[in-house]
Amino acid sequence: MFWRKTRRAIDGFHPLHQKLIWEHVLSAALPRSEWMALLASLSRHNELVRRRKWALPPRTESVVVPLIRVLCEDVGRGTVGLTADLRGHAGKEGPRQQLPVRRPVRSAEQWWVRDRWLSARSELRDGSVFTLDVVDVVRKRRIVKVNPRGKRKTKQKTKGVQRILTSRALAKGQASAQPGTPPPPWIRVKVRRGPKTVIRAGAKVPLPVEREQVRAILTVAAEPFRWTQRRRSA
Amino acid sequence: MTPCMVSTGFFVLGRCGRASVTGCAGCGRPVCDRHVSGDRLCPECATARGYGSPYDPMWSYGYRRETYYTTSSSYQDPGLYGDFDAYDRGAFDPGDQGDFGEPGDFDDGDDRDFGDS
Ligand SMILES: [Zn+2]
Ligand SMILES: [Zn+2]
Repeated sequence: MFWRKTRRAIDGFHPLHQKLIWEHVLSAALPRSEWMALLASLSRHNELVRRRKWALPPRTESVVVPLIRVLCEDVGRGTVGLTADLRGHAGKEGPRQQLPVRRPVRSAEQWWVRDRWLSARSELRDGSVFTLDVVDVVRKRRIVKVNPRGKRKTKQKTKGVQRILTSRALAKGQASAQPGTPPPPWIRVKVRRGPKTVIRAGAKVPLPVEREQVRAILTVAAEPFRWTQRRRSA
Repeated sequence: MTPCMVSTGFFVLGRCGRASVTGCAGCGRPVCDRHVSGDRLCPECATARGYGSPYDPMWSYGYRRETYYTTSSSYQDPGLYGDFDAYDRGAFDPGDQGDFGEPGDFDDGDDRDFGDS
């Protein structure tokens, strides 16, 4: 058998780490100490697993790992729940529709991919509860043309956006105040006042490149926290 | 006892508050045994000139400061970074909220109460 040593190394990894390798998904609600055990396991991956086929899926080390670190900084006695589906867009495609065409276009199909690949829920140490959802929404078009010499040409076009939705339900009676400045215009905020105030901040952005993904998420996530940030003059 | 003045948390800031064992060689703040680095620096000073990967235990301190900085600029809210920085340096105190200690303290096997240190 090939790769026997590598397989043995994988057998020694954290169970959630193994699931990421085999199924490209991660779903758990754990206290901080358990997440740290998973990260310790993941940190050894590249040193022990050289086989491409068993590499960590995209967005694991660039998005999921830093996000776990950030969420675990604020968690209290409770848990950080996180579900990441890192299988990519394939297999999440909606039905294909035919679009009306005119010559020289012979056919045009359009379909959508909706990939809610990341969600999280965290019980923070100030008693508030934070949630996050990230959804890729991608439009795909496949166009078949015939050029003047009678040759068929197929073109595929992709246009993607991403929805980043965050919310924070404050603890009962926790004070909040509207920040002095509004968020950037691309972030929408909704506040529901009550015994437990809920602040929602959402955005629709062009699909970020992988290395800018966490930054995009945290920029939106910052808004619900601005409502309770301690200010020097306040 | 002089409490450790390292600020914990990411968005929900608190003060470590454990007993300090030394002063930071960079900024002088009291630091506990968990927060002091090999060069006798606090996490903020240790990560001031760059920080490693998210697997690095000090990573979140460097990344937190960078996040407040970039968010402050995209929100055009200078106070977002300014107040984070002032709080971190101990220039003002939470007052209305207790210190939270180290996140995960609750999972260390000891059963200290929330915010107790
Ligand atoms: Zn220092
Ligand atoms: Zn400390």
